[in-house]
Formats: sequence, C-alpha cells, structure tokens
Amino acid sequence: MINISNISKAYNGVEVLNVEELNIPKGQNFGLVGNNGAGKTTMFSLLLDLIKPTTGEITNGDIVVSQSEDWKPYTSAFIDESFLIGYLTPEEYFYFIGDLRGVEKSEVDELLAGFEDFFHDEILNQKKYLRDLSKGNQKKVGIVSALIGNPEVIILDEPFANLDPTTQIRLKKILSELTQQQQTTVLISSHDLMHVTDVCKRIVVLEKGKVVKDIKTNEATLKELEQYFSQ
Amino acid sequence: MFKRFISLQWKQFRRSSYFEAAIAIKILMVLGILYFGGIAILSGVGGYFLLQKVFPEVDPLLTLNQFLIYWILFDLGLRYFIQQMPVINIKPLLIVPIKRKKVVQFLLGKTAISFFNILPLLFFIPFSITLIVKGYHPLYVIAWFLGILSLIFLNNFTVYLINKTNVYFILIVGLVLAFIGLQRYEIFDITTYAQVFFFGMYSQPIWVLLPVLLMILAFYANYQYYLQHFYIDGAISKKAEKVKALNLKFVDKFGKIAPFLKNDIKLILRNARPKQVLLTSFFFLFYGLFFFTMDVYKDSPALLAFASMFITGGFLLTFGQLVPSWDSEYYKLMMSQNVPYREYLKSKLVLMIFAVVVSTILSLPYLYFGWDIYKLILAGASFNIGLNSFITLYGGALNRVPVELNAKAKAFQNTNGFNVTQLLISLPKILGPIIIFFIPYYFISFNAGIITLALSGLLGLIFQNQFLNLIEKLYQKQKYKTIAAFDEKK
Repeated sequence: MINISNISKAYNGVEVLNVEELNIPKGQNFGLVGNNGAGKTTMFSLLLDLIKPTTGEITNGDIVVSQSEDWKPYTSAFIDESFLIGYLTPEEYFYFIGDLRGVEKSEVDELLAGFEDFFHDEILNQKKYLRDLSKGNQKKVGIVSALIGNPEVIILDEPFANLDPTTQIRLKKILSELTQQQQTTVLISSHDLMHVTDVCKRIVVLEKGKVVKDIKTNEATLKELEQYFSQ
Repeated sequence: MFKRFISLQWKQFRRSSYFEAAIAIKILMVLGILYFGGIAILSGVGGYFLLQKVFPEVDPLLTLNQFLIYWILFDLGLRYFIQQMPVINIKPLLIVPIKRKKVVQFLLGKTAISFFNILPLLFFIPFSITLIVKGYHPLYVIAWFLGILSLIFLNNFTVYLINKTNVYFILIVGLVLAFIGLQRYEIFDITTYAQVFFFGMYSQPIWVLLPVLLMILAFYANYQYYLQHFYIDGAISKKAEKVKALNLKFVDKFGKIAPFLKNDIKLILRNARPKQVLLTSFFFLFYGLFFFTMDVYKDSPALLAFASMFITGGFLLTFGQLVPSWDSEYYKLMMSQNVPYREYLKSKLVLMIFAVVVSTILSLPYLYFGWDIYKLILAGASFNIGLNSFITLYGGALNRVPVELNAKAKAFQNTNGFNVTQLLISLPKILGPIIIFFIPYYFISFNAGIITLALSGLLGLIFQNQFLNLIEKLYQKQKYKTIAAFDEKK
C-alpha cells in the first residue's frame, strides 16, 4: 500500500531521516518506535506531504504523494492538536470532516454511536468548543475523526500519549479491530513499547533517522525492544 | 538584564520565517521606509514655507499649532488600529529569578522604538530647526519641541490603555467628527482653543509641563497595569465559553462550497480576531466622510475613486488579506484532508462579495453628496467584487502570517497580523482604482472614468477561472513554506 524508496530529509544540510526502502502492505498494522529525534514525526509528515523530501519519493496506493493529491480521499491522519479546529464543537468537527470525505451526517452519527464507550460521556453533547476540551479529550476527537469515511490508510502519531489508562486499553482494541479485515492499513508511532507490541503486527525501530530494526511481532518482541532501548 | 532582553528580542525577530523573505521584498521594504522617511523630512523642512505660502498673513507656527489637535487625534485613532503591544513570550520569564518590574519596564521602553514615534520626529525635528534658522527663539522652540515629543509619547502610551475596548475608539472618532462638523458650520471652532495651548508651549514654555506630566502619568498607568497583569492570561481561572448554536441550514444551498462556508461563518462569529475585523470594516463605511466633505478633494476625482473603493471594500480588504492565515491554526489538517483549493477559495470569495453588497446598500446615505458620488461608490463596488477580490486573495497567499484566532485583549499574547509585506501587497489595491479611473477620466470624461472602473469588475467575472487557477497554483507552489510559517509558535 505504501512504498518508501530512498527517502531522505535534511534541514540545512543535516540529515534527520534517511530510509532506503520500506514497504507497508495493505491491511498491515504498522508500528514505529524510536527515541526523541529519531524521525518518527518527520516520516509521517513526509507521508502526508506536509514537508518536502530532500530525496526520494513515497507512494501511497500508486500515487506519488508529492506529485498528486489523489491519495487524500482514502488517507486520514491525526498528528497533533493542529489537526483540530478549535472554534467548532466536537459534533460540528466530525460533520465537517464527514463533509470533506463525502460522508452523510447520518453515517457519521452511526459511527459516533459506536464510540460511546471510548468517549466516556465527555465529548458529545457537552456544548463546548474543541479549544476548551482537555488535551486527552482533544486527542479522542482527533483519533475518531481519522476513522470517518472508512479510510484505507490511517496515520496516528503517538495516539496513546495523554490518554487515561481506560481509554488506552479501549484504543488498543479499536486499532486491532481496524486491521482485522485486512482492508485498512494503520500506521502508528509510540513511545510505549508495550502498547505497540500489543497492537502492531510489525514494528520498525528508527534511530537517528535510520531503520535499525524491522520486526514481525511475536512473544519475544517486547523483550527484544526493551533490551535494545536499554543499551 | 536589559541587554539580555534585547538579544532575545533580536533573535526572535531575526529568526522568524517572515524575516527570511525574498530579497525583492526586503529591497522594497527599505525603499518604502526611505520613501516615508524622506517625505516626512522634506515636509518638515518645507512645511514652514508651505504654510507661509498658503496663509501669508499668519505666523506659520501659529497655523501649524491650530491644526495640531486634529493630528493628535488622528494619530491616536491610527495607533488604535495598528499599534500593538510588542509580543514577548512571558511564560518562561515568569518562573526565573528576574524582577517583574524589569520585564515590564523593558516592554514599555521597547514601544518607544516604533514607526509611529519615529515618523513624526522626522517631521518635527527639521521643522524645529527651520524655526530656529528663521529667527524664532531657540530655547522656546526647544520647549515647544519637547512638548510635541511628550504628546507623541502620550499617544504612544495612551493607546495601550484604551485599546482593550472599542468604546474609546468610537469616542475618538465621534469627537473628531463632532469637531469637524461644528467647525464646518461655524458653531464652535476647537482649533482656536487648541491653538492657544499649542502655541502656548512656545510663547510661555511653562505650558510644556502639562503634556510632560500627562505623559509620565500615562507611562505609570501602563506600568501599573502590566505589572498587575503579568500572568499567563486565563491560566488560573479558565472559563469555557458557552457554545453559540447556529442554524446554518440555508448555507447548504451553496452546494460544494457549503461545508467551507459554514466553517467560515463560525470562524467569524466565534473568534475574537475576526470579530475585530468585522468591526473595523464597519468603520470603513465612514471613510468617505473624510473625503467628500473636504473641498481639497473636490477637484481630484481620482482620489475620490480611491475613497469609494474603500467604502465598500472594508471587509474585503481586512478579511481577504489574511486568507489563508485565518486557517493557520489547523492548516495541516486542511492540507492533509481532501480539501479542494477551489472550493476553499470560493467560500471566502462568497463572503467577501456578500460583504461588498451589504456595504453598498449601507452606503446609500452617501446619495446626500450627490448622484455622481454614489455612481463612484457603485463603480468602486464593482471593481471590488470583480478585481480587488482576486488581488486581495492573491496577496493573502503571499502573506503567511500565522493568526491566533481567539487572541485579542490578552495583553502579553497578542499577535499582530500587520506588516510591511501586507503594505506592499496593498499597493495594487490602492493604485488600481485610481489608475483605472483616472486615465479615461483625464482623456474623455468623468462618466467614462466611472464606466471603465465598473467594467473592470466585469473583467474579473469573465476571467474568474483564470484568476482562481493562478491563486491555486500559488497555493500549491507555496504549500510547504506556508505550512512551516504557520507552524511557528508566537
């Protein structure tokens, strides 16, 4: 589904990311881990064509993301709060995203009904603007909005950060279910090794902009990762 | 300590993406500064002789002093709109061992180095020198100059005290209009009374103490205010606003652009900055009063054409110059979602055109000045709808200033969406209607000028697609730059 080839990004001559080859097949639950500055957010920003690659290209579907915008209808993402529109209520925001993705209001309502547990009565019908919600609740809105319109590719940067333990567990369930039909490709990044090994079928470790590990998740993975990061 | 603040400020200025503008813009900036400075100095030197020529039997200093009151009020009104408290990021300073007094003192001191303070000095210094050369008593001239200097800084500090609410602004505008009206109908002439005071600063220098004291008072009031408000605004008792429910069903009729239009309407109604713009554009409606009432402009219809454009173009200009900056807070979302540029732009365009139409209707009272004037306003509206809208949107795309939507009255966090790039972009908007009107007016007739100006708007409608394509291309070309600029935290 996603093909990264010879991609690199340098700021003022300093390389922050350099990935020679990375293929993410359709339906994979893909996890990206690495310390601060390893290049996780840079990689996601490149995937979304928010920054310009210094070399190489990324294809999403069959489309080179920096050359055409045709990948947008089937791709969705939540990177940080700058993906939220502060002066809208959560409902208005969901409907707006629905409008952009060609999803009817009633369909959005249907989807939201399925997330009642996840929202924990703190999101819908609160008569609050998004800018007045707490960081955790904002994140919940962002994550759910990324699921509107059955996207084929979903990109979430640090989805577990700022969430309370209950919601983290619920989110893990949601993310695992998404890829069950092998139709949706999910890409997440995280600092929480346990969550990532629970959710992702494949984990790639970045260090200083380079891929240093590419693991198919199994029972030993968590140990392996812990060992790697405690070096 | 001050040295460290200055170096911090310099770094913030030097390292902002705005500063790394294209070399061409930098050159134009320098030229602009030289131009305005040059004009000020020239009129400072030549002002004395000019006044002597226009009013031969009156002492030029007396004439100048007569009109200073209007200059003071006008200056205050202008500052009200444009001059903002310089932004300094106080959060990191709150918890380190620096005396708050120092920070506030630095902040207030920094306001002294402002375009608004320097420009009048460029006029008054050469003017005072001319006075001395012409044989006025040097000590008295210096006293008078000190008085003027105090008044400049009085305005400088007063504006920070009053720009938190709009009441004072309405008061100032009302005062100016009342004075002009009373003077025109010869009921009460403020200038003769003001003259006594202003000339008094020269003839009896003891008068100078008044503005000096007032200036010190204004400084102290500011100092107290900012010392007390030296906190992260709202961090302690953050109140969530009540949601204003809006029924925007009727917008659905606009089809594809409806989702954007709905958003834009909410954007304007629910955020402090756009509301400010709405109010500003309302004041543009009164712009004509300055021009149409003054005899000086009666014989220069080209300037009247310019004024007419302003009357209906308030919202178009002030809102349009910040497209796409209005969406800067969530620009990454817009760029990663399935957002067609065309629909996005058209939604803004619809709002701008709607505002022009409403302003045209609201400006019906200008019929009082005659049918010719209203024809000019209509032609100006046509220019606005057809051409100016596209010029403004194009300029807005070059602007790339992040806008904090809901920040207005927060003393330490106000961001300022006004800069020199904007000024330069506005040149075609200002000169456009003048040139389009003037050429046929000069060679054929007044009506020919009006018809040409009106037809220029039609041009925009015919080439709408081409114009939109052009702006779209600019958006695409600048995409990464814009994202990076909007990402910059203030």
